[in-house]
Amino acid sequence: MKKSRLAFLVIGIAILAFFVLMALFPQLFSSLDRKQSFGAWLPPSAEHILGTNSLGYDIFAELVYGASVTLTVAITASLLSLVFGILVGILATAKGLVGVLFNGLINVFVLLPKLIILIVLSSFLGSSTINLIILIACFGWVGTARAVRAKVVHIYAQPYIEACKIYGYSRGHIALKHVLPNLYDVISSRFLASMTSCIMMESTLSFLGFGDLYYPTWGVMINLARLRGAVLFGAYQYLLAPCVCIMLVSLSFYFVGIYIEEKHSTINGVK
Amino acid sequence: MKKYIKHIVVALICFLLILVLNFVLPRALSGDPIAYLTGFEEEEMSAEKYEYYYHALHLDESIWVQFEYYLLSIFDGTLGYSYQQQSTVSTLILEKLGYSLQITIPATLISIIIGLFWGLNSGYKKEGLADKISTSAMVIINALPGFAIALILAITLGVQLKWFPYVGLSSSWVQVGTWQYLVDRIYHLILPITAVVLASLPSKYLLVRNTVAKFVDDKSVTYAKQRGLGNGKIKRDYVLKNVAQPFVTMVGSSIGSCVGGAIVVESVFSIKGIGGLLNQAVYTLDYPLMQGILLVTTLSIVVCVTLSDIVCILIDPKVRKGEEV
Repeated sequence: MKKSRLAFLVIGIAILAFFVLMALFPQLFSSLDRKQSFGAWLPPSAEHILGTNSLGYDIFAELVYGASVTLTVAITASLLSLVFGILVGILATAKGLVGVLFNGLINVFVLLPKLIILIVLSSFLGSSTINLIILIACFGWVGTARAVRAKVVHIYAQPYIEACKIYGYSRGHIALKHVLPNLYDVISSRFLASMTSCIMMESTLSFLGFGDLYYPTWGVMINLARLRGAVLFGAYQYLLAPCVCIMLVSLSFYFVGIYIEEKHSTINGVK
Repeated sequence: MKKYIKHIVVALICFLLILVLNFVLPRALSGDPIAYLTGFEEEEMSAEKYEYYYHALHLDESIWVQFEYYLLSIFDGTLGYSYQQQSTVSTLILEKLGYSLQITIPATLISIIIGLFWGLNSGYKKEGLADKISTSAMVIINALPGFAIALILAITLGVQLKWFPYVGLSSSWVQVGTWQYLVDRIYHLILPITAVVLASLPSKYLLVRNTVAKFVDDKSVTYAKQRGLGNGKIKRDYVLKNVAQPFVTMVGSSIGSCVGGAIVVESVFSIKGIGGLLNQAVYTLDYPLMQGILLVTTLSIVVCVTLSDIVCILIDPKVRKGEEV
């Protein structure tokens, strides 16, 4: 089991490193200018690995430059939703009115139809990259909040917390020194999971036409490809290449997640 | 009893939240509420028309009176009025709902059945060859967003191989009402339904597979095997009962994911159902129509999830027996 676990980690990090490199140094991957016309709908060749689009732009260059926007949106949205989720999850375990209120908030948000509410809100608020990030974060924190809530309740039921209470430590001391450090594994695995779901949400919304056309992500690219008639001209790679990129990125997060989860489950098992 | 009430209260609050959100959104945002409430640009309206809408939408009254009129317009069953389409929102939705249900209902049923039985078999024989292959396939499909699955299906099976039609729901040359029409419709439905099934299947399969894989190590299963019970009986009487609860919860929430999946899939296959209606409303900025669709979908999802939660409580023997004592 140990070996395959490590293999997952290596594969996941390798794919991730590839795309991060692509986001940071797009020049390394494509020497062509993004906005240079070479002639419309050229088939894939040695010079244009994925051919060109309706405006004659190189599709591979578009893909490479889309990586940074896609990853930036995903990372900021998932970090924001992680912060919301941790806060709400911890507050939901509080006693009294605060706990009831935040528990109710979690229960209500679980029920909401996320995609449709995001479509309606983003057409009201207008679609810009920042709006998209904030909206995705506002509706993406629920899973994290539930996981954090369950973990906090679990930790407070442990004998060592009881021991701390008998020693007479203050509640603040217990919360900061004994509960918070133990949330680390939940938070790290939730971060990876929410990266995947943020990429999915962002690309779905962009595909439906809510993306920012000035900063095209892979989702926007697929939407544009469809509008420009990639199917008619037989440029299937224009549609499929971004899909494959999205798939590889979310798989890489999944693989790293498997490693972290199994590592913690064996540690907890030994305990 | 207390437990059901909690679920129902949460559902009501959720529905109320959407109602209030729908009321507040057009009025709180910067810009003229008339533009949001009618879907027309206020600059393009004549002064009389502006006055007319201003009065017709009760914008000259206080906010509470407006809310009263708003609630009235929701609960008389019209769900508001789309000024662009010159029709009540409920008629527009009812017109298109049938097309969406033709995709959503079969897709939900198929993915539930396949997810349950395939997951059960894979989890029961975990680490076997069949389990390894199908689980990794599901993990890969799970990494693809729904629209990508639909696009890949449309390009490979539709455009390239020409096995299935990939635009709309019926061919133009078939007469409505004949048996050919039915066959043609089913033929058109194959790709969209497959896309929604593939998009929603992995999460169900993985949930059942992982729950079963954990339960198979339980002592009761080992004992049942020692007693010489057949695999079929163990699966049916031991394993299935123990995955029932998470499975019912999942069925409730899968309605939501299938509705979301149907919207994306309708956009790929140019089907004019609820998703098509929503797309059209978004492009023409028909805000009342958008809000009506949001309200209807929220209502259906909330009802489904709440029902499944209540069923979950009902089928739990611990809860049942606990109440009797």
